[in-house]
Amino acid sequence: MPLAYSLPSNLSPATVANTSSLLRIIALSLISGAAIASRLFAVINFESIIHEFDPWFNYRATKVLAEKGFYEFWNWFDPTAWYPLGRVVGGTIYPGLMATSGVIYNVLHALHLPVDIRNICVLLAPGFSALTAWSTYMFTKEMKDESAGLLAAAFIGIAPGYISRSVAGSYDNEAIAIFLLMFTFYCWIKALKTGSAFFGTLTALFYFYMVAAWGGYAFITNMIPLHALTLILMGRFSSRLYVAYSSWYAIGTLSSMQVPFVGFQPVRTSEHMAALGVFGLLQIVAFAGMVRTHVSSKQFQSILYSSVIVIGLVGALAFGGLTYKGWIAPWTGRFYSLWDTGYAKKYIPIIASVSEHQPTAWPSFFMDLQFLIFIFPAGVVLCFRELRDEHVFVIIYALVASYFAGVMVRLMLTLTPVVCVAAAVAFSSLLDTYLDPVEPAVSEAVVPSTEADSAAAASPASGSSLGTDAAAPATGKKAKKAAATESSASGLASGLIAALSPSDKSSKPRGIFGLDTRSLVIFNAFGMLLFFVLHCTYVTSSAYSSPSVVLASTNPDGSQHIIDDFREAYYWLRQNTPEDAVVMSWWDYGYQIAGMADRPTLVDNNTWNNTHIATVGKAMSSTEEVAYPILRKHDVEYVLVIFGGLIGYSGDDINKFLWMVRIAQGVWPDEIQEPNYFTPKGEYRIDDAAPATMKESLMYKMSYYRFAELFGGQQAVDRVRGQQVPKTGPTLDHLDEAFTSENWIVRIYQVKKEDPLGRDLKSANAFEQGKKRKKTKPLARRKAVV
Amino acid sequence: MLLLPFLALLSIPFCIAASTQDIHERLRGLAAANNGVIKLDEGLYNLLTTPKRNWSASIHFTALDPRRKCGPCKDFDPSFNAVAKAWTKVPAAERDSHFFATVDFDNAMGVFQKLGLQSAPVVQIHPATEGPRRPASGKTSPVVYDFGNGFDAGPLAEQLSQFTPVPIPYKAPVDYARIGTGAGVLLIILSGVRAFLPILRSRWLWAAGTVLTSLVMTSGFMFVRIRGMPHSGGNGQWIAPNYQNQFGQEVQVVSFIYGLLSAAFLMLTLVTPYQTHPARQRLQVYLWSGVILVMFSVLISLFRVKNRGYPFKLLL
Repeated sequence: MPLAYSLPSNLSPATVANTSSLLRIIALSLISGAAIASRLFAVINFESIIHEFDPWFNYRATKVLAEKGFYEFWNWFDPTAWYPLGRVVGGTIYPGLMATSGVIYNVLHALHLPVDIRNICVLLAPGFSALTAWSTYMFTKEMKDESAGLLAAAFIGIAPGYISRSVAGSYDNEAIAIFLLMFTFYCWIKALKTGSAFFGTLTALFYFYMVAAWGGYAFITNMIPLHALTLILMGRFSSRLYVAYSSWYAIGTLSSMQVPFVGFQPVRTSEHMAALGVFGLLQIVAFAGMVRTHVSSKQFQSILYSSVIVIGLVGALAFGGLTYKGWIAPWTGRFYSLWDTGYAKKYIPIIASVSEHQPTAWPSFFMDLQFLIFIFPAGVVLCFRELRDEHVFVIIYALVASYFAGVMVRLMLTLTPVVCVAAAVAFSSLLDTYLDPVEPAVSEAVVPSTEADSAAAASPASGSSLGTDAAAPATGKKAKKAAATESSASGLASGLIAALSPSDKSSKPRGIFGLDTRSLVIFNAFGMLLFFVLHCTYVTSSAYSSPSVVLASTNPDGSQHIIDDFREAYYWLRQNTPEDAVVMSWWDYGYQIAGMADRPTLVDNNTWNNTHIATVGKAMSSTEEVAYPILRKHDVEYVLVIFGGLIGYSGDDINKFLWMVRIAQGVWPDEIQEPNYFTPKGEYRIDDAAPATMKESLMYKMSYYRFAELFGGQQAVDRVRGQQVPKTGPTLDHLDEAFTSENWIVRIYQVKKEDPLGRDLKSANAFEQGKKRKKTKPLARRKAVV
Repeated sequence: MLLLPFLALLSIPFCIAASTQDIHERLRGLAAANNGVIKLDEGLYNLLTTPKRNWSASIHFTALDPRRKCGPCKDFDPSFNAVAKAWTKVPAAERDSHFFATVDFDNAMGVFQKLGLQSAPVVQIHPATEGPRRPASGKTSPVVYDFGNGFDAGPLAEQLSQFTPVPIPYKAPVDYARIGTGAGVLLIILSGVRAFLPILRSRWLWAAGTVLTSLVMTSGFMFVRIRGMPHSGGNGQWIAPNYQNQFGQEVQVVSFIYGLLSAAFLMLTLVTPYQTHPARQRLQVYLWSGVILVMFSVLISLFRVKNRGYPFKLLL
């Protein structure tokens, strides 16, 4: 067997095995280190702070759990949220995340390590990303081998698609959910491969943890049945499948129903019906199989076969009938919006308004996954080539996840693991092929010149740690014979045919000639890996590490300038307003106000009550006169708006304003109409040409109140919209400006009380300013009729 | 002396009543003559929107003349007519209290000028100002229909039904062509199950389907579909210079690049090793490595167009 380069031949197989396992451990720990470290940009660039919106609620809930104990947390009723309704927190959240940090907190304190709960929350996501890397390693190991597993772990460790949801401080359900997702899938594959009820139970337990942690558990609930169903359709039903699925479904469903927020959904909503249906189908198939082993008549078999189909059909019909009759709950809105993409915009604007729920353009895919995105189809093809049961899983996962990621930006998160796995399989196959030193026998047509310098080393050592699966070619003689017979057709076509033949045991010789080809491909591959690392570091540090509570800009000299308006304003509220002062803002800021300012809010990011949100939307988009009674009836004392026009912060309320209008219009179509907020030409403007409805709306007034004065007589420009603001700004009669932060990002207004003299506030204000009351036009004197 | 004017004053309501009666009759006739849609000119428009009316009206402003080059008008016109036709099927009592009318720009420029309409199509709903159908809120100014749901007849009927005495009984016409095609395909498949089974069982067919779907989905196909993005921008621009935006053509280009890169990888991994001729194999390895390098560079340069701040580049 000719070799391209020589390998040490005096190593015992045990030494090779031990060394490779040591190297694997080292590699895995380095990968974990890299995964954690690359998520700490946020802490280094800014500080140890909770990010964004939802994490602030999770953090607040975790504080309750850590301070008051689990039962207090479980029964927590929060009267300050959704004022005046309040919110039963214990029953409306996925408690997995808080419980996890609570356990870590208590363990650390039991060990006398007085770690602050905030630091646990901030660092939870990076910590779990190391576990994700490990579970991806385990999962990919089942697909191919350890070397592919290591590559997959490295990919997921630093892929921006996952980092975007798991930087330090991003204390959200996804932080632990991706680890749970991958580990549940790993357990499932293991259970399926071994047919062990133990691993099936383990799958169920981690499934339960997942259900307790993230609403995205429905992905697992449908992936596993889909996989099982595909296997049945492919004629691959086995007792291993039966044991794995049954143990997972029975235990997993029962335990998932223990989460109060989930409750009886697993038996009632259609999202969970696929799992139930496949469970039933498996029982029928298993029963039919059992009968078949006892009865030998072929006709009986065919009858059984058809009855299976009939029962399946009847089941499907019954399911359809139950849905139609309303016995089982209709599909939830978020689920609909995945299939009928126009549905959300029409019927549930509150879902469509979230920027994470927008469809994904291709640059986002490339940004988040870089070269993995075009290697992963190759990995899928390789899975098709082998097509063991577990490969079917990866194929289905890739197909489903790539569709979902295209529909919704946030589902990029579920695509990332499978892309990493498939890409790792493809990449490691490439490396296997080109690192393997064995050269095939040259076809007889050419004179072998390279054969002479090949060392006659024994083949057991060849490529032991580099992937033993690389098919060792058949003996030289046989290969030569085969090559001789097919030497005429040794072109691209025959290679293609050989490659597509599913088994690796094809007698055709396989291998690479020469060192230059090997080094070229390997050099190329490592270049791509290096580029990937650079890309990930750049994307993570520049795009995904901003806490969005604290903003950063660069000074002319290159140093960093921190914009801390949000905390400035929230702390102003905390220190200058009574504790029960109700603050109204758009729902995006509800959790932050509750978390940082500790004041009651009307609406927050838990968007369960559309009418309440629409009420706020109506108040924001109506005139002062209409809005004032709404504010007073809800005991609102302060109104908070986000305004980015001064420093060009584009995520402000004026840009979100149309959603407020749309949501309000959904409830009060007579009073709020979206077209009224556009110019007759259909433009969205805030300058002189803005329509009267827009200029009169509370949101517009609060945003641009006294804005023009800031420019000292010069033309005021809104830097976000790039439009010129009218010189005479809006006036406010029913609200007082209470606070405006340094860069004007947060503006807080105090709602005036009713006038003590019983006048309406507008005329009272006019009186204060010394304006004479405009008299109504006197009636025209009647002319005497001649 | 006072008596005569007084009498005249008294008689005004009757005159108006009589004249509105006449107008109503006339409108009814016009509507019945043309499938429920009244073609308005300036005079008729004034009659239909007379300030004293006990009927409501949906008025559609359009510019159908080819010279006006109004594409959306042509798209929307059939929907409006279909909804108006559906309205003719309700009982006469209700039917005659709501009218559908179309104003074409070329027939009534004055109306467009008077209303200051700059664009078409526009649908205005004029509520009744008198009688039992006067809105409870007292708002009788025209309401503008929101085209947020597109130009389809379904949402139009749904929205307009808020202003009609009874809901418009509009049903989307059954698409017999589509049903027929579906049934035909199904029949062919069923009749040829034996012939199709090997195809269905062919793993490479499934592989091709899976990979193609993944490639298209990861190139932003759903973005283009959901947002209704055009195939390419005006003035021959086919790549949207914006990170969060893209045209239809980009899907094709990007998925082609992805596919080529993927194929080059597969060629290197699967096909090249089977080449038993060293020189040919070497050629293949160099070829596919070159393809990867060049296409990756092209991809990066495309990405740099979308994301100007991206600091890395390869060959290009």
